[in-house]
Amino acid sequence: MKEHDIYEHEVLVIGGGLSGLRAALASLEEGADVAVISKVHPLRSHSVAAQGGINASLGNAPKAENDTWKDHAFDTVKGSDYLADQDAVEVMCKEAPDVVLELEHMGTVFSRLDDGKIAQRPFGGAGVPRTCYAADRTGHNLLHTLYEQNISEDLTFYNEYFVTSLVRKNGRILGCVSWDFEEGKVVGFASNVVILATGGYGRIYNRSTNALINTGDGAMLAYDVGVPLEDMEFIQFHPTTLYGSNILITEGARGEGGYLLNSEGERFMENYAPEAMELAPRDIVARAIITETEDGRAFEDEFVHLDITHLGESKIKERLPGIRQIAKDFAGIEPVQEPIPVQPGQHYSMGGIDVDTFGRTCIDGLFAVGECACVSVHGANRLGGNSLLETVVFGRRAGEKASEQLDERGSYDMNMIQEKMEEDRRMIDALLNTTEGSPYSEVMGDLRETMFEHFGVYRNEGSMKEGLLKLKQIKEDYDSIKIDNENRRFNTALVRALELRSMIKVAETVVLGSLKRKESRGSHYRRDYPERNDEKYLQHSIFTKTEDGPEVDYEEVTITQFKVKERGY
Amino acid sequence: MRLRVYRYDGKEEGYDDFTVPDKEGQTVLDALFFIQEELDDSLSFRYSCRGAVCGSCAMLIDKVPRLACRTQVQEVKEEEVDIARYQALEEGKSVSDDHILIEPLPHLEVKKDLVVDMDKFFENYGKIEPWIEAKKGLEKEHLMDPKRVRELEDYTNCIMCAACFGSCPVNGEKEGYLGPAALAKLYRFHKDPRDKRERLYLADHENGWWACDFYTNCRTVCPKDVPPNLGIGNARRELESEEDED
Repeated sequence: MKEHDIYEHEVLVIGGGLSGLRAALASLEEGADVAVISKVHPLRSHSVAAQGGINASLGNAPKAENDTWKDHAFDTVKGSDYLADQDAVEVMCKEAPDVVLELEHMGTVFSRLDDGKIAQRPFGGAGVPRTCYAADRTGHNLLHTLYEQNISEDLTFYNEYFVTSLVRKNGRILGCVSWDFEEGKVVGFASNVVILATGGYGRIYNRSTNALINTGDGAMLAYDVGVPLEDMEFIQFHPTTLYGSNILITEGARGEGGYLLNSEGERFMENYAPEAMELAPRDIVARAIITETEDGRAFEDEFVHLDITHLGESKIKERLPGIRQIAKDFAGIEPVQEPIPVQPGQHYSMGGIDVDTFGRTCIDGLFAVGECACVSVHGANRLGGNSLLETVVFGRRAGEKASEQLDERGSYDMNMIQEKMEEDRRMIDALLNTTEGSPYSEVMGDLRETMFEHFGVYRNEGSMKEGLLKLKQIKEDYDSIKIDNENRRFNTALVRALELRSMIKVAETVVLGSLKRKESRGSHYRRDYPERNDEKYLQHSIFTKTEDGPEVDYEEVTITQFKVKERGY
Repeated sequence: MRLRVYRYDGKEEGYDDFTVPDKEGQTVLDALFFIQEELDDSLSFRYSCRGAVCGSCAMLIDKVPRLACRTQVQEVKEEEVDIARYQALEEGKSVSDDHILIEPLPHLEVKKDLVVDMDKFFENYGKIEPWIEAKKGLEKEHLMDPKRVRELEDYTNCIMCAACFGSCPVNGEKEGYLGPAALAKLYRFHKDPRDKRERLYLADHENGWWACDFYTNCRTVCPKDVPPNLGIGNARRELESEEDED
């Protein structure tokens, strides 16, 4: 720590989940001085909750011997409803086997086939069993592995710091400003490179599988300093989240052979995707469940059944132990004997910070990786098993690239960081000193409800316009939210209020993008425009910040080897 | 339901009582959020996944270390948890039928309310050098027997929540004791066929394997069914038989 409370590091990674830790490790191995800043201890990051697996064309499973990265790339592009950039998908799928083997060598205990190779299971939208897994705790195992590797390299961690602003000068990143939970004060960080790895914005919705901490902070930080956001309207709704708490029930449950049944006991997917059935991509299965619910074929008008009882006790205990525990702990259900009540819930943010295949943004020295970024490899709908893959492939690429450019940078510019610190100090004091108005929790609740109701699985103009008006009110309410305590140390209410600031800004782009895209593609389904319109919208949405809120523009999708076709399953 | 919650703001400590409306399926974490959002926004606690996988919210609930997110309010009074009682689980306010008692994990310094300093816990974990030396540029995975994977999973399932650390009478007595989680991790690396290092010696001392008194509180409170006591017992047997051979 230097005077004025500013720390210095060559590479600053914001976020300690899989993509952040992979990026940090890559930079450390290149000899850079690296620190990770996170609002939680890295092992508490949302990556830990990923269940089903990570895709790579290893060809280990029987009948998948001839799998290739090209097949993986085709499935990914088709799954994306042709919105993914094909050059980026190629990079990801080509590097997939290497990053998975690397993780195995670092110590991840993957599940195995009888011959001792890494086991692979079928997943939605994939032609062959391609998803490598560690039971149904794949994210947990990968995150612990990368954490272990980083502590072996003596990585510096700043845990429980909330980054409030990035600092840029002209086209260059200088560092960031953050709130230290424990000391209850603003501190600065000066660095040559900042890598954002803050995860998605799922918690702008209620009914989300996401950790409570997924509030879109990284996207907001980048957007605030002028980096465009991309494809923000594409929100993945996972078909099977546990009724009540919306905790994720992995696609692996269907990959292992689970059935979806409506209240008439029918495997209704045969009416929606007769070939792929329960293993159609997530957007299709989620819409099918909502349609069944609207047509009166759900239980209690709320949920359908995910039945895995026929898999038998031993297979459930071996392959899906985490799911069994979740069903018991959070729904009081023994899935060996009874079906699991499930409903669709927000799960993944396809959109994010506009970056290239090295994670670079338009600001020199500022990178973004993982769910907070949009490369774009998922397009309009992400396939299961591709998000863990994205984190490690692009985390590694960004970390390596970041360390290459350290020599080109000059000395740190402390003045601008101090100015920004002063500004954020005032912002936080103002929050702490406001005692009249709405509590943050009320405004946050309104936002989440609005987003789910008006920008959910099915969308249409009229409802979205109503949602837009509600969002305007929410924005006004935020300007006068109150905090009833003036503690500086570990002030949870203050941190939640700061998160809400991120959530509202990000939600504005989701709302604008959904209204402007007058077609249906992947996860974005409009009842008033039910068809895909390639002529007009085979385009990425690009959002930039202006004084009057976000503006949206459109940009070509990169197409290399896969022709745009109709998408059937 | 009433919750009696431990409070500490850096200067004064005490307990506050809050009444939370009964709700089907409500977890202790939900109840803490209700308090934080509706009754007293100065309350501090850690949280993240709310699904018993991230390990943030271990705390003492009616004198038993548990994850707040995995504990149903309505079931606290019904659930009998059979653990060895000792000073840290006896002191402070006592358990009563008309409220649920919420306190921070023992053996770790309290920073504010239910937030404890986890540094000591993670330092102990660091002492067992919990990493495999990764080789680069290898074209194939190591082959591993699925049976061995299942053995390892018993230990890799640990989420580092420190519930075991806060339940262990030995941790209560011996300041330097590595504790169940760190030892379970060490055993996990020892049993990993890919790890070629000699490792058991890292805890072959009075604050390591030999400090455990097999109260087995660790295993009872573990939300992930990790059995540190079994790993510790196995490690001791291996060390003893090595000594016999010498």
